[in-house]
Amino acid sequence: MRNLRSLIPITERMRKLLPRTSTGRRGLCALLLAPVLLTGVQACTDLDENPTSAITPDKFYRTEAEILGGLASVYNSLRAPQWGYYNMSQITTPENIVPTRGSDWFDNGRWLEMHRHTWTANSPMALDDINGTYNDLFGGVARANVVLNAMEGVTVAGQDSITAELRTLRAFYYYLLMDMFGGVPLAEDIAVTPRERVSRDSLFRYIEAELLASRENLPVTRPAADYGRVTKGAADAILANMYLNAEVFTGTVTAAGLEKGAARWQDAIDAADRVLNAGVYSLAANWKDNFSPNNESSPEMILVLRALAQDGLGTNFLMRATHYNQTTGPSAWNGFATLAETYNAFDDADLRKSIFLVGPQVNFTTGQPALDRSGAQLVYTPEIADETQATESEGARLVKFAPDPARVGEHSGNDFPYFRLAEMYLIKAEALNELGQTGAAIDLVNQLRARVFSPPKPLDAGAYTQATARDAILQERLFELAGEAKRRQDLIRHGKFTNPSEFKAQSEPYKILMPIPQTQLNTNPLLVQNPGY
Amino acid sequence: MAALVVRWFTRALAAGLLVAGQLGAQGATGTITGAVIDSTSRQPLPDVTVSVPGTQLGAITRNDGSFTITSVPEGARRVRASRIGYAAREQEVTIIAGGTTTVNFSLGQVAAKLTEVVVTGYGTQRREAITGSVATVDADEANVGVVPNANGLIQGRVAGVNVTLNNGEPGAGAQIRVRGGTSLSASNEPLYVIDGLPLQNEQTEASGIGIGGGAALARSPLNLINPNDIASITVLKDASATAIYGSRGANGVILIETKKGAAGTSTLEYESYVAASTPSDKLDFLTGNEYRAFVQGLVDAGEVNADRLDNLGTASTDWEDELTRTGYTQNHNLSFSGGTQSTQYRASLNYMDQQGVVLDNGFQRYQGRLNASHQAFAGRLRLGLNLTASRLNNNYLPFENTGGFEGGVFANMAIFNPTHPVTVTDPTTGEVRYYEIGPGSQSARNPVALAEQISDEAGTTRTIGNISAAYSVLPSLVATMNVGVDRSDALRRSYFPRSSPVGAEWNGRARQVERNLTNLNLQTLLTFTPQIGEEQELEVVGGYEFTDLETGEFGAEGRGYITDAFSFNNLGGGGTSFPPFSTVEDSRLVSFLGRANYGFKNRYFLTGSIRRDGSSRFGEGNKWAVFPAISASWKLSDEEFMRDRWFSNLSVRAGWGLQGNQAVRPYASLVLLESNNNARYPFGSQVITGVVATRNANPDLKWEESEQINFGVDYGFKENRFSGSLDLYTKKTRDLLLEVAVPQPALVSTRFENIGQIRNRGFEASLDAQVFERPEASLTSGLVFSIERNEVVNLGGRDFIATGGVSGQGQTGQNAQRIIPGEPVGTFFGWEFAGFDDAGKQLFNDYEVTRDANGNETGRRVVGTTTDPGGDDQVIIGNANPDWSLGLRSNATWKRFDASWLWRAEVGRDVFNNTALVYASKANVLQDRNLLSSALNDRDALREPAKYSSRWIEDGSFLRLQNITVGYSFNLPGSDRVGGNTRVYLSGDNLLLFTPYSGYDPEVFTDAGLASRGIDYLVYPRARTFTSGVRIQF
Repeated sequence: MRNLRSLIPITERMRKLLPRTSTGRRGLCALLLAPVLLTGVQACTDLDENPTSAITPDKFYRTEAEILGGLASVYNSLRAPQWGYYNMSQITTPENIVPTRGSDWFDNGRWLEMHRHTWTANSPMALDDINGTYNDLFGGVARANVVLNAMEGVTVAGQDSITAELRTLRAFYYYLLMDMFGGVPLAEDIAVTPRERVSRDSLFRYIEAELLASRENLPVTRPAADYGRVTKGAADAILANMYLNAEVFTGTVTAAGLEKGAARWQDAIDAADRVLNAGVYSLAANWKDNFSPNNESSPEMILVLRALAQDGLGTNFLMRATHYNQTTGPSAWNGFATLAETYNAFDDADLRKSIFLVGPQVNFTTGQPALDRSGAQLVYTPEIADETQATESEGARLVKFAPDPARVGEHSGNDFPYFRLAEMYLIKAEALNELGQTGAAIDLVNQLRARVFSPPKPLDAGAYTQATARDAILQERLFELAGEAKRRQDLIRHGKFTNPSEFKAQSEPYKILMPIPQTQLNTNPLLVQNPGY
Repeated sequence: MAALVVRWFTRALAAGLLVAGQLGAQGATGTITGAVIDSTSRQPLPDVTVSVPGTQLGAITRNDGSFTITSVPEGARRVRASRIGYAAREQEVTIIAGGTTTVNFSLGQVAAKLTEVVVTGYGTQRREAITGSVATVDADEANVGVVPNANGLIQGRVAGVNVTLNNGEPGAGAQIRVRGGTSLSASNEPLYVIDGLPLQNEQTEASGIGIGGGAALARSPLNLINPNDIASITVLKDASATAIYGSRGANGVILIETKKGAAGTSTLEYESYVAASTPSDKLDFLTGNEYRAFVQGLVDAGEVNADRLDNLGTASTDWEDELTRTGYTQNHNLSFSGGTQSTQYRASLNYMDQQGVVLDNGFQRYQGRLNASHQAFAGRLRLGLNLTASRLNNNYLPFENTGGFEGGVFANMAIFNPTHPVTVTDPTTGEVRYYEIGPGSQSARNPVALAEQISDEAGTTRTIGNISAAYSVLPSLVATMNVGVDRSDALRRSYFPRSSPVGAEWNGRARQVERNLTNLNLQTLLTFTPQIGEEQELEVVGGYEFTDLETGEFGAEGRGYITDAFSFNNLGGGGTSFPPFSTVEDSRLVSFLGRANYGFKNRYFLTGSIRRDGSSRFGEGNKWAVFPAISASWKLSDEEFMRDRWFSNLSVRAGWGLQGNQAVRPYASLVLLESNNNARYPFGSQVITGVVATRNANPDLKWEESEQINFGVDYGFKENRFSGSLDLYTKKTRDLLLEVAVPQPALVSTRFENIGQIRNRGFEASLDAQVFERPEASLTSGLVFSIERNEVVNLGGRDFIATGGVSGQGQTGQNAQRIIPGEPVGTFFGWEFAGFDDAGKQLFNDYEVTRDANGNETGRRVVGTTTDPGGDDQVIIGNANPDWSLGLRSNATWKRFDASWLWRAEVGRDVFNNTALVYASKANVLQDRNLLSSALNDRDALREPAKYSSRWIEDGSFLRLQNITVGYSFNLPGSDRVGGNTRVYLSGDNLLLFTPYSGYDPEVFTDAGLASRGIDYLVYPRARTFTSGVRIQF
């Protein structure tokens, strides 16, 4: 019976056999059923496509709810940088390495290539991680452009604020692209077409202008129900960071390295101050609150990737770093480790050293001792003997984001901070130091150290010159921001990115920019490769 | 229709001769009676002319093959039986005055069937009048052993058609390539037309979920057609033959005609077979004892901690043996047919139950089919009905097509530690349960438990029906209308139980997905065959065709169950339910077609066709395209100057045509917005349903076009005892429908564009030979040979497209193949393996590359070897395409015995043994995983990772004995049917395989990305099958 019934819609649809046209032509069309030689009846051929389970943009983005749906998709693009952008910011530095562990984690050599800086425009890492990052970040730009373009034709409540929100997000994606690749094609329309790269300096000025314009229409705070959406503070935090890196971002990269652009230290201080003095943010009393599964309650968060312990909505930093037997349910991946030199750089008395797992390990779910694959107690050792043939327990693990007991599969509810308040302290400190105010700079650093040392261990402001303070602030950024995808940018700014380090020789000076992957050059003939590649 | 005319004509001619003969008879005479059967099918043969040379006497056999010749002068006489398409035979008899002598004949077909009528697009043609490249398969001859679907009937029997079954799964899908694949991302599947109705070769059942890897490939959509109902298969290969199918003809057209009833006969037939299948080969993994010994050796050498020994079990489990079994198949057909002058019918019922050679999977088919035709108004109106109703039950095995870190049944078969048992008994409760390594070590699971515990099944109900009406408006003008419906409904139901580690992750995961397809087809044709003089013939066909395809899917999922008792039957019984999902797609194809066949003096033939197609799937303004073709042939052997040469038939053909390919999904030219997981985002704790574009617009999207030129020769020697064809072709496909990266910024990083060009060239030869022919014995053989070369001419400026993703742990982001201009599709690309260093690290050729200022490569040379190869060290390391392929089939008869066999060979093809790359690695032992025993002989250091390189590219040439069948025919008591009413047979499939390849089987398909080929990763093992069957006719 079921099948007889299912045939009924067919009879309904059999009517389509009489191609639909205007009424006047139906008589002619009916002739099609009579077998005659058919000439001049192309009118009886309806080939329009009318998708019903998906929508075309001309029918969408009309109401606030529809626009919020589009906005959500633009925010969703914040998830992608936790892969390519994050990995390339971490693993290219001494913060992380992904050693090859037997048959695990070789992956075409791309992880070691990333750490050793041996990538080219055509290497496995370029075709995978770099290309993916390029596409993902531009995907965020394109998503924002679609909604922004659609909004030009409609009027909804909160129009200016939503527009500012979209422009801020688009500027942020461009900021990440500028950081990795330098100048890139700049588009505000939705055409899919080859475009030339703009200079890194003009991209910088575009992002700056967009953020300055948008911040006027962004709220200072959001209600809890809108937590995660951008605020004035987010725009200011991005600006502060851009000004801090202005010498790099507005400079020129050649095969011989960076020719610095103009410094913007005072602008960095001003932007950081706008956040610090916004009356919205404060340092979390407990430093670890910033990384807990419910870190949305931390008063330090400025711009985050909002995560929930739900399928497809969480973060998975825990999985990358920890051993298979430390999680129940889907097993962790036992990939990312920290280099001994980084681990050893942390002060034992520093609470922040607790982000590293070394020594005997437990299963996060059961609390029971975790075993390695030979059945013995799993013990992480900080040293890695051979990065091409590591054992399963070599390498300290950087686990800054505490295990979420409620995680679903690999998805944990720990939000990832793109910007949090502590960085504003450090930006301001660094800029002050560059402007010669070393003492004030060290004071700011000590405000951060106050909550992580017990007994307190402040830096002695009097002991620092501008040069040693510069190094101290860079180190403090490591202690405070390790695992938050800042290190590559910091080392480039300080001219140390290409230096030799553990399992890495001196690399070419032009490696401070990622190459445009060959696949993108093939697609867009107007693209010009970065120097050196 | 034309067949009837030919039959009527030969009867009338022979009858006229008879009358003349009988007039001259005189003196003492006797009678000759007897019957004639087909030597292969053992079926009675009507319309055979039986004559007595030297006299004018003769007769035509009746429908039951019998004949009677009276008034034969006494004495020794020769009796000759001949029929078009068969080799004539003579027997000596002695005629006694007033007596009756019985003579029976068994005629063998002349394999080339030179005068047969062949089904072509929208009509039929006499074989000799065909100007294109067309091959036919006799379905009865090909239907030997276990053949679940029509793909098996074509394999090895048609030159230039390559059929690779995906794997050994019952009802597995197949890759069918007519003259090589010409498309990169659009479909390469040929168009199937069943009794005139184009079949939607779409996946009928929703895809599986997949556990830790890509889900197993879909089963063949052709499984709904019972091979026993198929009378003949015609393969249209070149453009001049397929262009009449326009946008759907680029990959060749396979026309399937089903069996029909005949006037004046009544038959009842029962056929049945049972078969037993076992895996044809095994991979050689370490046994429990070997594994323990290996670990002990490592401990002794100080390479691993002694704790590792404590971790091992005491069992010695051969997981491959535990997972595989003897699978039994049974098949029953009952058919009856009959008819009067005006009405004919045939009905058939089929039941097939095929078990896989791996635990807990298989497929069942229940199918009924009815063909009926009726003539009215003094034969001016002919009505036809074809109706197939089928129910398929597929029971799926949770195995992987591709996979990374984890996997399904076969990956776990490979890695699960052989020192562990299949089951353990709980010492306190006495309960027997599957052994699992335990939580936390999840990436290796008991493969037997996976096979047994996971439920994954689907039932498809599919009905295909078409009604045709042909009316002779004038004697020379026939109007035909054909309306067809193809509807399938399938429900796939899966449950991952709590008791399995894969289900425990979700506390049980249940899912049901319904998928339906509805295809409507309307054809109106006008066929005009004017009489234009004695020496000329002309047929003109014009028509209109409309096709509408709608595909829908609806599904829902539940998780978080407190019991496994519900299985997949109570989705709402779980603690967590997910929003149901549904999709609908609709597309239309509108066509105007015309064709003219012209013949002169039965020697010169010309065919022209043109089709104008409109498809909804392309951009505005690009929906319509025209596909013309023209071809001609010249039957040289009928020319005066060729008379009495040693050719009994010689005909040359030439053709040119344009075909299209529209096989992109609907809406490929539009920006589509969808709500999906890639668009959701939490604001606060509220998840906002996001809407995101899932594809970029491409209003310029249009047809992919193939232009093909074909030259052919049909030949025959010695009264066509040896006959065949030679064909040479070149095929250029341009405006390839290719999903390529787009310039950024873009909503999605790729879109379908018309880019690049591919060229296929090839040579095909076939030879059919009646090796010998004796009254009691015969041997015929058929040979098909083909060479096909394809080359990517350009990719629209791209240097390459990476494809052929490598499966396995530590292989993320690795591709095995590249599509490169100047090279064939299926080119392996990677590092060149150069041995080992003293530390047991793999060495690879180290290339020094020079580049110009723009970064373009200007030269390269090997400067040594390296353990850390990079992007510059990757080069071409293999080609998955064979140099040539061969099929050899033979049929032999001796008295009541018959035998047939089929060999297939493909030579000079490379296969990437992805299975060995990943599982022949000593490092697996560091994860307590098993490995292929070949790894013990390798020089790799214990911790040396598996690296894709030329080391894993193997010669995949093979010669396979596909089938041998031996039959015996006899009469059951009470039947005196000529040739026997009963045939019993024994058949063996896949009996012998000769290959240097070290894996399971070199004939593999793993869907590892765009146009990937020749990658072998943990396929479902192929079966070796023994079948015994019987056919009884009443």
